[in-house]
Amino acid sequence: MLVQLLGRRLRPLRALGYYIGLFSLCLVFAVACGGGADQETSTPAASNGRVTMGTTLSARTLDPADAYEIFPGILLYNLGDRLYTYAPGTTTLEPQLATEMPTISDDGLTYTIPLREGVMLHDGSAFNAEVMAFSIQRFMDNGGRPAFLLSEKIDTVEATGEYELTVSLQQPFAAFTSLLTFWGVTPVPPDTYTIGEAQFKPEEFVGSGPYKLASFSSDVIKLDANPDYWGDVPENKGIDIQIFTSPANLYNTFQSGGLDVAYQTLDPDQIAALERDADRGGWTVIEAGSTVVNYMSLNQKIAPFDDLNVRKAVAAMIDRNLLNDRAFQGQAEPLYSLIPKSFEVHEPVFEQAYGDGDYGKAKEFLEEAGITEANPLEFEIWYPTSSTTRSVVANTLKEAIESNLPGLVNVQVSTAESATLWENVEKGIYPSVLANWYPDYFDPDNFVQPFLSCNEGSEETLCEKGATQGNGSFYYSAKTNDLLTKQSAELDESVRSDLFQDLQQAMVEDVPYIPLWQNKDYVFSASGVGGVAIEPNQQFLLWQISK
Amino acid sequence: MSSRSNALRYYVLSRLMLAPLMIWTITTVVFLLMRATPGDPVDALLGPRAPIEAKEALRSQLGLDKSLFLQYLDYLGHLLRFDLGSSIASQGQTVWQIIGDHFPATVELTICGLAVAAIVGITVGSVAASRPNTPIDAGGRLFGILTYATPMYWFGMILQLVFAVQLRWFPIGTRFPLAQTPPDGPTGLYLLDSLLHGNLSQFGTSIYHLALPSLTLGILISGVFERMVRVNLKQTLRADYVEAARARGIPEFRIITVHALKNALIPVITILGLTFASLLGGTVLTEVTFSWPGLANRFFEAISQRDYEVVQGLMTFFGTIVALVSIAIDILNAYVDPRIRY
Repeated sequence: MLVQLLGRRLRPLRALGYYIGLFSLCLVFAVACGGGADQETSTPAASNGRVTMGTTLSARTLDPADAYEIFPGILLYNLGDRLYTYAPGTTTLEPQLATEMPTISDDGLTYTIPLREGVMLHDGSAFNAEVMAFSIQRFMDNGGRPAFLLSEKIDTVEATGEYELTVSLQQPFAAFTSLLTFWGVTPVPPDTYTIGEAQFKPEEFVGSGPYKLASFSSDVIKLDANPDYWGDVPENKGIDIQIFTSPANLYNTFQSGGLDVAYQTLDPDQIAALERDADRGGWTVIEAGSTVVNYMSLNQKIAPFDDLNVRKAVAAMIDRNLLNDRAFQGQAEPLYSLIPKSFEVHEPVFEQAYGDGDYGKAKEFLEEAGITEANPLEFEIWYPTSSTTRSVVANTLKEAIESNLPGLVNVQVSTAESATLWENVEKGIYPSVLANWYPDYFDPDNFVQPFLSCNEGSEETLCEKGATQGNGSFYYSAKTNDLLTKQSAELDESVRSDLFQDLQQAMVEDVPYIPLWQNKDYVFSASGVGGVAIEPNQQFLLWQISK
Repeated sequence: MSSRSNALRYYVLSRLMLAPLMIWTITTVVFLLMRATPGDPVDALLGPRAPIEAKEALRSQLGLDKSLFLQYLDYLGHLLRFDLGSSIASQGQTVWQIIGDHFPATVELTICGLAVAAIVGITVGSVAASRPNTPIDAGGRLFGILTYATPMYWFGMILQLVFAVQLRWFPIGTRFPLAQTPPDGPTGLYLLDSLLHGNLSQFGTSIYHLALPSLTLGILISGVFERMVRVNLKQTLRADYVEAARARGIPEFRIITVHALKNALIPVITILGLTFASLLGGTVLTEVTFSWPGLANRFFEAISQRDYEVVQGLMTFFGTIVALVSIAIDILNAYVDPRIRY
């Protein structure tokens, strides 16, 4: 009786069983007959001139007034044009939507920029000075993440002719033309975009560049070549970008032939493996230096880094070559100034002053600071939990320092979730933190202002409001502030170069930060794909890629 | 009307009345958790370097300058209007749009994963139970333990390395080839949509991409089913009616498949339902391992972007699904198994 009752009640289960059986049959059938499998993996991008690219970088927004991360920046660089750009493969500034370099008034405050005629935006509207003035005003007024870049510099922007733009600055700024190469300073149509606090269009882009945005989602982004582009038409018909959730997926997909181009971010051992297997796999490895700098910030407000000798001692303890070997398998460059090597004004001041892993010198500074085995130096190194490389770096530093200065220095490695960490850094809670800096524009100014400037404070109270507070060093120096103001306004390159030397000297004397390493950038292209290169300003020009 | 029918009706009613309470509890916990987590939504939107005035204006616009209680009332008010909020990071996109975009991928993966789990779990469990105290039985136990204990991401990676990188039988992940156009609606379930459009090529491609993620998910959760089936089938095979069937000379295979397995499968319904509900929000490891564009993956991304509204909205959505499915399972169990007291 029970069996009969259950038999009736379990009829739906029987149906489920049939469904499962049918489904599995279909699965086996489809997979067995899936001729597409071989085609897809062996010639993944056999897609009529389109290039497939994989990355693990994500694009939060494509609104030029709000995009401040590296990947949206690359996309906008290819979707839009700027007033000025860099000649491919060089760091030479050249006009793009401007027709010539700006005319700068004698006081350095007014920039007059003649604009290109005959440029059409993606929606068919015409580009002119009104559109450019609107776009710059929107960039400043909408309050997006990069808004401060212009709003802290520009006083007014106006169209002084149909094809003439005039920008007035609040104070002279020598790097202003370089700043105009920032990806967000790109024309957008006033009919589509609006000016207003936090009025953004994260998933759309209408601009003037060589590509039009075809689709945008969190996992796939497609760009179509713009047939009406005023400049050179792209070498490919479009770019299909797959966003992977892990470096392992990107690595495996590229290695198994599923992508034309793999770009950022692979782990050091994956990069090493791809380099090693390049001949066998038939792919090309493109390596380029980058301007991304990594450093340790030392909080001068609290012990033990309120003591200059302790800061100098730690600067002498850092063995950058060891870090490069252990953490990066040689895929980084030791850095001895916060101004990266790509700039002529770079001077390896920390190497000259403190050497590299010079524990003898470190001992001398420690002695001057009153550090003995009875009174050892103890300090914490903090890093964001999400960063595996900084975890390796912090632990390598700990091991190296403690084994070379036994009993004299104890290092504690600590980590916190990113949001909490940066909140606490600004509050001055951590004695030291491992951080990195992605520049906004290609000028040495962008490697000194964000690190050394402080708006409010004194040498007694240290920084109370300013960039050095955000970086966790709380560094304040009236002399350095003065040097920063001078270099910012100085239009004479040789005088400016001297000022950068002085600033680097101030950095090495006061040790608010210890430069650690400079990233190298890698991109991998499959057989038959050409024109892949990373620009000196870290941009990736997709329109040059051919297949 | 019998007293049993009345009792069943009362039971169903009581379970349904419990649903709003469960959902309210979930939403309240979610709200409080989100307020307890570090980070500022305004910083997440405008960046830490935005002017204080701009931050304050946005804080006011988002209602974050109100007291916690008023924020809670606002939040409940929105929920009552089925408004789960919108993304802070990608402004303008509502949580419902995000669910619409990504949930089908999760549902498809979950259904296929469960199908694999059911097939593998029931088969292994049945075979093990039919050979008690033999190496086969021990093998079944070992299978259950191993699949239960193996980390999802590790197993997924191994399958990728073997079947995608070395043998190149399957793609690494993702839902559809980058260079091809996926099936266009109406459900967002590619398998179903391709069949509805009569496009077998798209169906084959979809299942080809679905194979490795669903095998990973299915095999690893099959241990739960295997264990349930093995234990229950063993008990059932000792029942009197099974002995009677044996005495009548019915072949053992028929006894297991036709008579005993049905009874042994009753508890599996509960597990199946709860697993389905939890997987709808809990396939995050599989989705991340295979770059599968599902809702759990999007949830993970929202957490890393500190997109509070999306995290809050999706947690509420997932919690509500689990609550509703568990109630549905209770009711189904009560209907199927008259021995359940209520």
